[in-house]
Amino acid sequence: MRRLGLLITVAMVILPSLVFEAHAQDSSVSSEYLIKAGFIYNFANLVQWPANAFTQPDSPIVIGILGEDPFGTVLDRVLAGKKVNGRIFLVKRLKSVTDLKECHIVFVSSSEMAHLAEAIHLVKGMPILTIGEIPGFARRGGIINLVLEDNKVHFEVNVEAAKEADLNISSRLLALARIVQEPAADGKKTE
Amino acid sequence: MRTIQHSQAGSAGLTTRALLLGALVFFSVASALAQNLPDVTAMSVEDLMNVQVTSVSKRSQKLADAAAAIFVITQEDIRRSGAASIPEALRMVPGVQVARIDENKWAISARGFNGRFANKLLVLIDGRSVYTPLFSGVYWNIQDVMLEDVERIEVIRGPGATLWGANAVNGVINIITKASKSTQSALAAAGGGTETRGSGSVRYGGRLNQGTYYRAYAKYFNVGPSIDPSTGRRANDNWDALRGGFRTDWTSPGADSLTVQGDIHRSGYGETLTVPSLNTPYSSTFPNQGSISGGNLLGRWNHAFANSSTSLQMYYDHTSITENSLFTDHQDIFDIDFQHTFHASGSQDLVWGLGYRSSHDGNNSSSVVSLQPNQLTLNQFSAFAQDEISLFDKRLRITLGSKFEHNGFTGFEVQPNARLLWTITRNQSVWTAVSRAARTPALTEEGLRLNSAVVPPGTPQNPTPLPALISVFGSRQFKSEDLLAYEAGYRVQVTSNFSTDIAVFYNHYTHLRTAEPGAPFLEISPTPVHIVAPFFAGNKMGGGTYGAELFADWRVLPKWRLLSSYSYLQMDIRKDRASLDPTADNPGLVSPRHQFYVRSSIDLPKHFEYDLDVRYTDRLPGLNIPSYSSVDTHFGWRPTAGLEFSVGSQNLLNKRHLEFLPDFINTSPTEIRRTFYGSVTWRFE
Repeated sequence: MRRLGLLITVAMVILPSLVFEAHAQDSSVSSEYLIKAGFIYNFANLVQWPANAFTQPDSPIVIGILGEDPFGTVLDRVLAGKKVNGRIFLVKRLKSVTDLKECHIVFVSSSEMAHLAEAIHLVKGMPILTIGEIPGFARRGGIINLVLEDNKVHFEVNVEAAKEADLNISSRLLALARIVQEPAADGKKTE
Repeated sequence: MRTIQHSQAGSAGLTTRALLLGALVFFSVASALAQNLPDVTAMSVEDLMNVQVTSVSKRSQKLADAAAAIFVITQEDIRRSGAASIPEALRMVPGVQVARIDENKWAISARGFNGRFANKLLVLIDGRSVYTPLFSGVYWNIQDVMLEDVERIEVIRGPGATLWGANAVNGVINIITKASKSTQSALAAAGGGTETRGSGSVRYGGRLNQGTYYRAYAKYFNVGPSIDPSTGRRANDNWDALRGGFRTDWTSPGADSLTVQGDIHRSGYGETLTVPSLNTPYSSTFPNQGSISGGNLLGRWNHAFANSSTSLQMYYDHTSITENSLFTDHQDIFDIDFQHTFHASGSQDLVWGLGYRSSHDGNNSSSVVSLQPNQLTLNQFSAFAQDEISLFDKRLRITLGSKFEHNGFTGFEVQPNARLLWTITRNQSVWTAVSRAARTPALTEEGLRLNSAVVPPGTPQNPTPLPALISVFGSRQFKSEDLLAYEAGYRVQVTSNFSTDIAVFYNHYTHLRTAEPGAPFLEISPTPVHIVAPFFAGNKMGGGTYGAELFADWRVLPKWRLLSSYSYLQMDIRKDRASLDPTADNPGLVSPRHQFYVRSSIDLPKHFEYDLDVRYTDRLPGLNIPSYSSVDTHFGWRPTAGLEFSVGSQNLLNKRHLEFLPDFINTSPTEIRRTFYGSVTWRFE
């Protein structure tokens, strides 16, 4: 009886693997970061940067990843060959804070949770769209925070922070966002 | 190429099979790398928001921040494991021992001391403690929720007494359901199989106005009887339960949020009970029935200030238990808790709180069990404060805190802890902690009389002409059981798809419960006249336990994930020299020394999913239960976003096996069978 059970088990382990191998080519990757890469592309499309943010009309949109890169190669591959308003994308893994100022989008990885205030402070006032995936990111001064709920990606937008960065977020995007504010320092009621 | 592989699989031996499996892994990796990604840039934001994603970061994010051995069971883990109940879901947690005694009774514990009335684990459902003051344990057969609505189950091994209070000695289990905003759809599920004969649940979620969401649910299941190992026939351990409940969440445009939730439940269960008898044959065994009903209502109000937040929580919980031939018991618990968290300075975060709990117990006894007094109200007051100090750019965090609690039995209990978390690099951290926890006396340990067996007259154990009744008594002198725990852990995110953590502990216990023999006496009622051999609850046992728990999460491929854990537990508990307890022996003999767990989760094409759980549990020499391995499988198919079909099996390796034995109440243990099940879940707007 035990042998039979073992055989059934082995068969059940191996069979799906065969099916898996045979069909891997036509299956879709539905991982969290593929979808998040799609969001980043859409954000680039629906956010307007001030004219001085780019040196040339065809200067690339530079995306910097701050902290441990959760995308692997996904973000590069999703954006390869894609253009927004005639601009291609350039994805950089930020090694030092001096690289920050040449970015238009900074993705703050969840590994930066402990250094969040510092990261937000560094880009303050610069026309940089900060995108995070840390609870409270937008409330603490980040511009867009990606939130997982029910295994779906939602996003929060801090409109004040976007204004300070001189970024114009399209109303279409705002309509889908959850608008959040930083808690007022004087104890006033917050949104 | 592929056809050749197939024919090999049909004829080859295990070695070839292993090679084949290796080759498959290689090809899967190769094909995954070469694979073209779907063009997500062609999708609108609305489309992207509707895609179900599989998350990789949730677990590690929560983990990285705690200076404790914490494990999080996500909604996805529950769904993919095919678990149909909370105890089944807990089987995946390292350092936790889950064993089933019969279809409706479990023994669940963390870091040892397992038993049906295990008393060192605190369990909370949405902030409501479900620990019964009756025996300081959990009635697992009434703890249930709509599993689809669970957001996560946090399991903390080791003491959590500073935050959660007395009885969070060896661990804390926090079952957290989703906010009603996240369950805004209708759901209907139905299933059945060879164990659970039928189950059905419905849930509806909606929005009342801007900022107010609600949901309501109802759930029923009926579990058929298992096998009685002594007869090889159907046992009498059937079980059915009906429950319903609601939750509303209101968020103000300002800084307030309010949650009100409640449940009502009723369940009936069967067992085969053996009770002592003063006449020949001195015991009787018969099928018995029990029923439990109850309800609870909880309200929680959170308010956020600029630099702080407060939370006020209140709940009422009623439970009525009628176990025929044994006892009836009615419990009413009222609990109120206030908590204030604030950011004190650049490096300090403080949290303090106050709590009051009143539990009323009323019971009726039988010839087997009685509890004195019949009516009792216990009041418990508590206060706690904890400071978290961040140093060196938040790389080092020190947590210092203590709970002060006053209860009616033992007076004040002080339960401090000190914790240290050092974030070495972005990807790795170490932590260590020292804490004290107390397990306060239960009602039964103070006022119980349990007649457990009769030794017939004229036998070597009882040469007198009168039957000897062995009875266990509570004692007013019974004190709290104490623990001083030393823990440490290390976590590392090795690569973006591989993380692991290890926790080690040394627990030193004092004043553990023993049953101390007293002077025998004559009792004339009930007739016939008999000798009572009494045993009184004492605190004459202590010693150390130590162990290690390892956990690894490896995303082998984007669509293939392996979770595995290993737990080691060594218990060296001895009674004191002053103890005369003939039964007290190393309780380690009823907790497995080694436990392994591996889960493989594969996402197949066309929205199919395949999961395999393999578990190994070491033998329990104290119960004469051999080690066993078990395999569970789960096949899921989600043809559309709202529809899900599942089929699976549990305990595939053995036709049936025994996992545990009952203690105190002599019910017949039953064997866990190999079972098959199927279910369908439909979510719609």
